[in-house]
Amino acid sequence: MTRFDHDDSDVVVVVGSGAGGGTLANELCRRGFKTVVLEAGPHLTGADYHNDEWKAFDQMAWTDPRTATGSWGIARDFPTLPAWIVKAVGGTSTHWAGACPRFKAHELTARSTYGDLDGANLLDWPITLSELEPYYDRAEIKMGVSHRHGRPPLPANNNYKVFANGAEKVGYRDYATGPYATNAEPYDGRPATVQDGFNFQGDKHGSKWSTLVAELPKAEATGLLDLRPESHVVQILHDSTGRATGVLYVDRDGSLRRQRAAVVCVAGNSIESARLLLLSASAGFPDGLANSSGQVGRNYMRHTTATVWGQFDKPVRMYRGETMAGVIADESRLDTDRGFVGGYYMETIALGPAFFAKFVAPGSWGPSLTEIVDGYLNTAGMWIVGEDMPQETNRVTLSGGTVDAHGLPVANVHFDDHANDVAMRSHAQRQGAAVYNAVGATRVVETPPYPSTHNLGTCRMSRRPGDGVVDRFGRAHDVPNLFVSDGSVFTTGAAANPTLTIVALAIRQAEYIATEYRTGSS
Amino acid sequence: MRTLMSDGQRRTLVDLLRAAFPHRTFPLGPYERTAGAVADAAAADPRLHALLLQGLSDLDEQRDVAFSQLDGETAGVVLRELTGTPFLTAVLDVAIVALYDDHEVWDVLGYEGASYDKGGYVDRGFDDLDWLPDPRIESQEAPA
Repeated sequence: MTRFDHDDSDVVVVVGSGAGGGTLANELCRRGFKTVVLEAGPHLTGADYHNDEWKAFDQMAWTDPRTATGSWGIARDFPTLPAWIVKAVGGTSTHWAGACPRFKAHELTARSTYGDLDGANLLDWPITLSELEPYYDRAEIKMGVSHRHGRPPLPANNNYKVFANGAEKVGYRDYATGPYATNAEPYDGRPATVQDGFNFQGDKHGSKWSTLVAELPKAEATGLLDLRPESHVVQILHDSTGRATGVLYVDRDGSLRRQRAAVVCVAGNSIESARLLLLSASAGFPDGLANSSGQVGRNYMRHTTATVWGQFDKPVRMYRGETMAGVIADESRLDTDRGFVGGYYMETIALGPAFFAKFVAPGSWGPSLTEIVDGYLNTAGMWIVGEDMPQETNRVTLSGGTVDAHGLPVANVHFDDHANDVAMRSHAQRQGAAVYNAVGATRVVETPPYPSTHNLGTCRMSRRPGDGVVDRFGRAHDVPNLFVSDGSVFTTGAAANPTLTIVALAIRQAEYIATEYRTGSS
Repeated sequence: MRTLMSDGQRRTLVDLLRAAFPHRTFPLGPYERTAGAVADAAAADPRLHALLLQGLSDLDEQRDVAFSQLDGETAGVVLRELTGTPFLTAVLDVAIVALYDDHEVWDVLGYEGASYDKGGYVDRGFDDLDWLPDPRIESQEAPA
């Protein structure tokens, strides 16, 4: 196991080991960089994971305190759990399902395409789709995405059969069991799925791409990865010239450590990345590190989501098989005639009874809940994921009074739906109901959003430093050797599940860091 | 740890849970175990413990007879009247997790629980739905 010295100032420090941080670390190690990954959570592996929803949640989820405010239902129903992300090696890539749509060209030019929407803080990305495409290819090949580059599709499971037959009957054409980053057949040293249905719970089999099973072991094999679990970064340090010099972190024994660094890359997921920059305020950066724009923490996006369940008079057994191996893409098209801008995907989803009862109608009990739960066996489910509007007032800030185990102010997540989000959700719920009604649903149930799994936008990319936090490569406008390497950098959210794009951007960023630091231009 | 609940209050708690989560197909065992989970949570949480003792006592004062003597419909009405009270909210928060995490409940609902140690469902019916035709699995659109 490689260990670099705490005072070794040649290393690159990566904060977080999820889709962004874990991928970046592997790409940097491959290019010869000494890389220290500081992961706040423990190093869980396949043998540790539970085929049990609550046990897995208690084991994997980031349950350190957070607070939530705003008019979103989450602030009422789950006020201390605004987001459902993972605190463990591999980050939320161990919990993600695997759906891998790409962004569409117009989604990278949202401001130009959608115009000036009241209350929305839209901006075009400083990257075009044609610039991203080669990195999408490399990300899909790396992740073994089904339906792409010769990778075979997943077979249809029970939940998909209901979903796809309904899609066909309502006239949708663009539906399939992917693209999906779980192996239908062995690939890249990892086995084919056994369809155990516990994809969200870490995937014991290792068939799903995650940084835990794919990127970090490869990085380790280079001898250049120093992976430190249970290492919670509390501050990014800088010198008098405004360059980052390293980080302070609390190690597994509770001791404060300093790791010096040549480059610092922050990939703690959108809530924690913004929190860390805000916690790293100093005399030179009084509003938070890299925050001269005032945009750190702002424009927080979480996708417009909902769940639609169809109940039938015959069994479905949605829990068997791959959780999200089903996508309807027809509604992801550019079509502002539907009463909203942006598009959405419909994707299969399944929960066990424990989570189904808890989340299907938050706060509900009595017959209105039990009648739904009684239909569990005969239930099919789909998740809606669509583009939400960035708003300056939707933001991550430091909570006034609430602190974590280290005494650090926790993140407060404030969110109000934009009128466009509400219109899109309503359309999507209607269409989802139509899909299930087309194949004979006896009851359709609409479930409001879960605590956020897609957290985006709090350190957005911008061409002009005044409009955002990082440049087109994810480098902080204000700090030349500080990078943000996760979904925080999304200028706008698009409709697609974000992981594929996070991975593509991490590959691109590693290439940029390698070029910059080899030529010595910074 | 033990609670200060009497045996009678424990039975009232079970009846409260049956009224709050009325499933005709559920046997008594899951409700009793859920009451146990509420008691365990109360034993470790003085606030919940106090709410529980006072709340169960108050519950018996809602009608002329004790809560456990009420028919199912009236019991449901009584609980509705307590919607949003700290007592009922706290009990239901614990109960909804415990009840639907009960493996006997899973059996009744048709859920099979852990599957990895049985080889998943790849050879055990992940695709056995037969009341709809087999759909295509590849899009008719060209990939983006």
